[in-house]
Amino acid sequence: MMRFTRSKIIGFATVAAAALAVSTLPAQAAVNETQGVTATQITLGISQPTNGPASYGYNKVAPAMDAYFKYVNANGGVNGRKIKLIIKNDGYKVTDAVNKTVELVSRDKVFALVGSLGTANNIAVSNSPAIDLAGQKIPSLFVNTGFSGFAKKSDFPTMFPLFPSYYMETKILGGYIKDNFAGKKVGIIYQDDDFGDDALAGLKQAGVTIAPGASISYASFSQSVATATTWVTKLKTAGAEVVIFYGVTSAAAFALRVAAGAAYKPQWIIDSVGGDATTLGLLGVTPAVLDGAITTSFLPAATDSADPYVKLFKTINTKYNVAGTVWDNNVLTGMNTAMMTVAALKAAGKNLTRSGVIKAIETQGKTFPSASLAQPQFSTTSHVGYNGFWIGTYDSTATLKPEGGKYKIYTTDSASGDVKVSTWKRPAMPAKGLPK
Amino acid sequence: MHNHRAKRLIGFILLGFVLFLIGNRVDDLRLYQGASVAMYVIGIASIVLLTGFSGQISLGNGAIMALGGFSATLAQSTWGLPLPLTFVVAVLGAALFGLILGVAAARLSGPYLAGATLALAVALPSLANQFSFLGGEQGLQFNSGSAPEFFNGEVSQYKWFFWISALAALLITWLISNILQSRYGRGWRAVRSNSTAAELVGIHSARSKVLAFTLASGIAGLAGAVLALNLGGVSPSAYPLSLSFALITGAVLAGISTLSGSVIGALLLVGMSELVGSLTSRFSLEDVLAENLKELLVSVLLILAVVFTPNGPGDRIRERKELHKKKK
Repeated sequence: MMRFTRSKIIGFATVAAAALAVSTLPAQAAVNETQGVTATQITLGISQPTNGPASYGYNKVAPAMDAYFKYVNANGGVNGRKIKLIIKNDGYKVTDAVNKTVELVSRDKVFALVGSLGTANNIAVSNSPAIDLAGQKIPSLFVNTGFSGFAKKSDFPTMFPLFPSYYMETKILGGYIKDNFAGKKVGIIYQDDDFGDDALAGLKQAGVTIAPGASISYASFSQSVATATTWVTKLKTAGAEVVIFYGVTSAAAFALRVAAGAAYKPQWIIDSVGGDATTLGLLGVTPAVLDGAITTSFLPAATDSADPYVKLFKTINTKYNVAGTVWDNNVLTGMNTAMMTVAALKAAGKNLTRSGVIKAIETQGKTFPSASLAQPQFSTTSHVGYNGFWIGTYDSTATLKPEGGKYKIYTTDSASGDVKVSTWKRPAMPAKGLPK
Repeated sequence: MHNHRAKRLIGFILLGFVLFLIGNRVDDLRLYQGASVAMYVIGIASIVLLTGFSGQISLGNGAIMALGGFSATLAQSTWGLPLPLTFVVAVLGAALFGLILGVAAARLSGPYLAGATLALAVALPSLANQFSFLGGEQGLQFNSGSAPEFFNGEVSQYKWFFWISALAALLITWLISNILQSRYGRGWRAVRSNSTAAELVGIHSARSKVLAFTLASGIAGLAGAVLALNLGGVSPSAYPLSLSFALITGAVLAGISTLSGSVIGALLLVGMSELVGSLTSRFSLEDVLAENLKELLVSVLLILAVVFTPNGPGDRIRERKELHKKKK
């Protein structure tokens, strides 16, 4: 009996091996330069958190992008094609970001990724052999993260960051702290990954010393009242008078609220990605608590109704965005990213290819119209986007006021370069806010 | 008995052949999902062995998987080992850790063991952040390689992953099913049911538990290495606390005491978002609602499973079969 079954096994093994040899296997997909492009449509995809603890505020970015695309579609589209944006929720989780991007690329057949959110997530997506971003030449346009590493063309050949890097931001803020808060004890709370590390490196470059015991790192997702209480206790004990916050908005809200509850009132300096007043307000940070906090931005203030971009985007928000979306800095950021995307797709011409878009940004990206008060820096050798910020202070109505009453843009790089005051003037907005 | 084993082996080979045929007929996304299913099958099988058979609860399987993933990655980057050997290192590394943990765990039971392993799941990933050779939050890259030149570039990356993951899942479930039928497996069930009675018939209850813990950890380590392969890297955030919970959910949904249940559990874990996706498009629900719908459905299923089939649908099927046999 045993012998019989053994020969049976060998039989099966032979069949399996033969099948393996003769079976006609589909060839490995070659680089598909025009995937997602038809005569009438361009399909784009974004993976970002639309729910979960890290999503507050950021979940408005993708719908805002979609609203701007709808506005463009209603005005003739991009070289005759309409843009379709597919939004996937990754909950700010690394594995989900990879899984959702696999879906976008292999099932939804997107032409490019646009505005993918998160430092660790974008690193994982770019590492994924299944997605094969670089090999398939899939453009990952204007990612929603300020990690300076993404600008390295050699490491991320198809990726284009847009935001000025966290490194630039803290370097500029570091200079500001030294000028305005000399001799005060400085503390920092930062997300413990490349996001926070980038910020620490910039501060170090600026020569800011953190007071002993006042450097607090927290793991992504660990933000809660309990953890914020330990942050505040540590900072109080260390006697920090100026506290830099470097993390997502939901974590910033915990820090601000718990500190206010404990009657601890340092000079708060909040990073540009975590300092949106509307989102903080929704998370329970009252204008009184936010009063006096410093933050930075590269876009005009969302409350600056005199700015032509803000004015236009606000009307697009009312007409094309999900009904009831409250206008804020996240909506502004999303629409600005969408506008840069449209500029890139238009510049790549009628015969749209993946390589064509990458080339268009590298050669013409510097002149793409956008709301930013700092100039894009794209070139054939570097993928650095905007390179500067203005610094502002929240007043008692949670309105962000630029220091000295008008936007003063500080520019720098993500290395040892000096911080300078920019003389660049933003060109006038193209007619109807549609890139040419 | 031998006959039974040979039959089982043939079954597994047949299953492998069917999977191979399926792999040639589905698209890239399905292949990728198939690889994820295989990864979950291994992870859940580890829980079936540990909880279903040996009666020990672990909420820290995700952390053990991380250990496997990091072991495989380090083995590759430091020693330049080929892929199959990195998997072996992952199993051995995780098993060694499981042995140490198992010795401690043998003294704990019920909620105390659950608590201790939960602490592990919380602490281990953050601990990995503290050592620069583990790559911090960004983690390390794992070179997944591509299909050997023998295939003339005709096997896509997705298919390559599916093959490796499915093969690993088949091998390990075949091994486990053999172990469960051996005297060790019977020993575990005896200890789980009544440890005093088991001791009386000569089973060393503590030793039996430690063995189960070690083996289950080794298997979880393999699941971790398969995840590293599919992601092309390891990082603490790839093995979050939610992974440990997902595995338990999968195990409970499909029947914690049947090995075949691990396949149902894995399919549910991977297929749920697919199901929710199609529901969303059919009834044009908002994306935000759709994402919460997934968690809601999983929770409802979990409650239903606990109420109606505490041992899972797999167990129900087995019971029915046995009843049928008796009737004959």
